[in-house]
Amino acid sequence: MAVLHVSDLRKTFTRGLLRRRTEALRGITLAVERGEIFGFLGPNGAGKTTTIKILMGLIFASSGRAELLGAPAGDRRVKARVGYLPENPYFYDYLSARELLDMVGRLHGLDRRTRRARAGALIERVGLGHAADRPLRSFSKGMLQRAGLAQALIGEPELVVLDEPMSGLDPVGRKEVRDLVHELRERGTTVFFCTHILADATAVCDRVGILVKGRLRDVGSLSELLEPRLRSVEIVWQAPSDDAVATLQGFPGQHREAAEGHVLSVDDQAEADRFVRALLDAGGRLLQLLAHRQSLEALFVSEAQRDDGDGEGDA
Amino acid sequence: MSGAIVGGGARVWAVALNTFREAVRNRVLYVLAMFAVGLMAFSLVLGELSMHEEVRVIKDLGLAGISFVGVVIALFLGVNLLSKELDRKTVYFVIPKPLQRWEFLLGKYLGQVFTLTILVGLMALILAAFVTAEGGTHGVVMVRAEVLVVVELALLTAVAMLFSSFSSPYLSAMLTAALWVIGRNRGELMAFATGKKLEGTPLGTVLEMVADMVPDFHALYISGAQLGGQVVSVHESFVSWGYVAEASAYGMLYAAVCLVVAMLLFSRRDLT
Repeated sequence: MAVLHVSDLRKTFTRGLLRRRTEALRGITLAVERGEIFGFLGPNGAGKTTTIKILMGLIFASSGRAELLGAPAGDRRVKARVGYLPENPYFYDYLSARELLDMVGRLHGLDRRTRRARAGALIERVGLGHAADRPLRSFSKGMLQRAGLAQALIGEPELVVLDEPMSGLDPVGRKEVRDLVHELRERGTTVFFCTHILADATAVCDRVGILVKGRLRDVGSLSELLEPRLRSVEIVWQAPSDDAVATLQGFPGQHREAAEGHVLSVDDQAEADRFVRALLDAGGRLLQLLAHRQSLEALFVSEAQRDDGDGEGDA
Repeated sequence: MSGAIVGGGARVWAVALNTFREAVRNRVLYVLAMFAVGLMAFSLVLGELSMHEEVRVIKDLGLAGISFVGVVIALFLGVNLLSKELDRKTVYFVIPKPLQRWEFLLGKYLGQVFTLTILVGLMALILAAFVTAEGGTHGVVMVRAEVLVVVELALLTAVAMLFSSFSSPYLSAMLTAALWVIGRNRGELMAFATGKKLEGTPLGTVLEMVADMVPDFHALYISGAQLGGQVVSVHESFVSWGYVAEASAYGMLYAAVCLVVAMLLFSRRDLT
């Protein structure tokens, strides 16, 4: 059974005196299985946060179904089994991190001893041990993000929904979040991970879905979505003499000069092999060989730019 | 069933405790409370100017100060109870937690009522100290008046919460304040509506309906006012505990209706 399931989900916002309608979601269908890390990708305004807000019971769908752990989104008993980190988390800034976790623990119905034990462990886990009793208003954005992760996990959820969890974190913090996400998967927790930082999605996600203008364009594992075919090979090389350079630059492909040496780009693996053999026979040195395949970024950009005649989302 | 009630109570308590924490960490609250204490201190000066009526002046001004400051705080905190959560986006963090929206609203309300009760209690203690210092006794009559002030503030908070469940804080503050002013002068409004000039006219009927519908804040602050043709005051013939119970029941029932409507409106609201 899917841990998260949405079916033909639609959301139309009506704004202003003129009742101007904006279609934020145009019928998305998606299922996330138990134990997987699912990356929910899309450019700004694609409808990612709208989808998450429906799942978290903050807004109501215009039509379609949204279910978490087999029950309708917003059900209180289901919410007890879900951890959620909002985008740019805003907490009660007069509370300390420890008080925040205690409050969330109370909402989860945890007894005092469990609340204290879990809060202490989570504060250490997210690296806030030195600031546990400081008011949140004195926290940096990265520290707030860490506090947000801790509060999302205090109920030991089966499903964790993270909306832009890397936002505001430095490289060390981002790596720690990636490690945490992997740790959650090892424990069997399902992670629904919303981001537009594609490197993070590539590093942690088992499957991704790409949402553009309220429609889900692609869903699948990275290996399914990205073409395995080679796009190009880039070879950085040096030759011992001007004659050898002139000979090698006669090979088909695009030649250019770079600070580190001569560069050749070819579209075909066999041509790259032939060039490398010739280079070595001529006594030259292979400095670098880079094979370019389709990246998640290229797929994302092509999906974001693809015009499917939807206009700008206004209905 | 009982487990669910206990669980629901714990969640409401968690929200109430947080609301109380927020209020007591708000410095504006202390400034306003100090204003009330300042008014009591000023009443000592005025008392000296009166002819052997020091205790009467302190009691009157002290009670008026507690009520006025309480109303300002109830209004200020009440209209912000929900709107602040929305403006600061803390609602995005708390609503996805395992609690119902109505539990959240009830917790916010009870947290504020708890804060106001503590505040009125503290101001009443200070007033009692001033009265005692002037050789008077605070007495059970004053306690009855102070209990009615707490009920008035609880009702005002519920009204503010109702308005803020569907409108902006400024509009909520204006509507709540207007309703409080009308409610405090409900007797005069009713007398005007049923007076010689308006009785039987469409305007008179409308005003009578308005007077019937607005919360009767007048019934909860009655020292120095007329009740059943007699002047009631904390100095001579004040109301009995029976009246306090009856007025409190009215105030709580009206507040409950406001809260239920606020809960219904909030339960289907998109928190965008």
